[in-house]
Amino acid sequence: MFNRILIIFFLLINYAYTEDLEITNWFNKESKQFLEIMNNSDVEKHQNYEKYKKFVENNFAIKSIAYGLLNEKIIESNNEKTLIKYQNTFKSYLTKTIYNLANSSTSGDIILKDIDVKDGVFIINSDISDKTSSISLYWKVVKVKNNYKILDVIVENTSYFVTKKSEFTKILRKNRSNLEHLIRELEKI
Amino acid sequence: MKKLFKVILLQFLLFFSIVEIVNSEEDTIVPNITYDEIYDPLEPVNRVILGLNFFIDDYAIRPVIKTYKFIAPDPVEKGVSNFFSNLKEPIRAISFIFQGEFMKSINSAGRFTVNSMSSLGTFDLASRMGMVKNETDIGLTLAKSGVSSGPYIIVPIIGPSNFRDLSGDVVEYFVDPISNNIPNRTYLSIGDGLNARAEVDDQIDQIREISTDRYEMIKSIYYQNRNSQIEEDFVQNLPTPKIYIE
Repeated sequence: MFNRILIIFFLLINYAYTEDLEITNWFNKESKQFLEIMNNSDVEKHQNYEKYKKFVENNFAIKSIAYGLLNEKIIESNNEKTLIKYQNTFKSYLTKTIYNLANSSTSGDIILKDIDVKDGVFIINSDISDKTSSISLYWKVVKVKNNYKILDVIVENTSYFVTKKSEFTKILRKNRSNLEHLIRELEKI
Repeated sequence: MKKLFKVILLQFLLFFSIVEIVNSEEDTIVPNITYDEIYDPLEPVNRVILGLNFFIDDYAIRPVIKTYKFIAPDPVEKGVSNFFSNLKEPIRAISFIFQGEFMKSINSAGRFTVNSMSSLGTFDLASRMGMVKNETDIGLTLAKSGVSSGPYIIVPIIGPSNFRDLSGDVVEYFVDPISNNIPNRTYLSIGDGLNARAEVDDQIDQIREISTDRYEMIKSIYYQNRNSQIEEDFVQNLPTPKIYIE
């Protein structure tokens, strides 16, 4: 009996350790690639942007973020065509806004500090630091179909998701929950 | 006249604090705000003031800040920022006493002594000696003692705040042992304000470029920053989107 408990305990620890190692490797690899794209001055700016766009497509949980920013009732009351249009517009908006956010805060190294898990979401605590300063950066990451996807980026205690949720909610409230209006606003950026 | 004004103001603040505590009942210490439903009954007026603030910023403050950031090398900017931050250590020490955080209070007083003696506060030697900077102010002290935030307000020229934090700022103005004993306090306040504006210059540029509603963006950022100083597990408690299979 004791042996069985010991084996189960060992397997659980081993599983947790493997998962920890897996997400650490993913984070180190992707953050390195991200910095390489952002700091690469050898190529034209638009080429960098294209690479960066692919990085966002591969690593961000775009549908989850896009739908999370809407009220459930709005998702239910719109047809699939409008929702797909919203998702595509949001993808382009997310790419532009994260690019803008990153451009002003990415020089130096991204250093992983620790990883926490809450309700199946990994919360990665990291710092971007150069010689003179350091910026606190949290990533909320989820594992979907064996791939890690970013749900939120929290720069110096400002969550991208929470901030955009406030903005989108206001636009929708002002315009009787009209999703087409929100799409037009996003296209303006 | 000045004394009478002080008494009236302090009575008003005291009354306001009592009203807030009575109204806030149980969940006052951790604000637990859903960020898209912040108490904002003054929104129409706030939006006008925000527009005015951006107008003043565009034509008077922003050009000064951009020139300063262009001319001043990073170490100079850092030094100026350290100088103004160091002047706030005594008020931090007082705030920590009211929060019951005595070790942090001693730490703030120690930081002030070390940094002032070594470089007039322009270099943060204390951090190198292991005395880490802890941010706090009277507004946070009020928050931690159960005073709820009250309505969100945009103060002309100064920017976003709420009744609680603005009350804290007013109290600080009267009790701050440093700025109350410095000649030409107005110049010091202007310098502090410009330094604070320079520190958030990148964020303000982002708000101009990427926000769909800059009023809501500023409000959300303000509350997130304040709550991160009040709540211990702030990041863990932030809402996370529901997961959809991509």
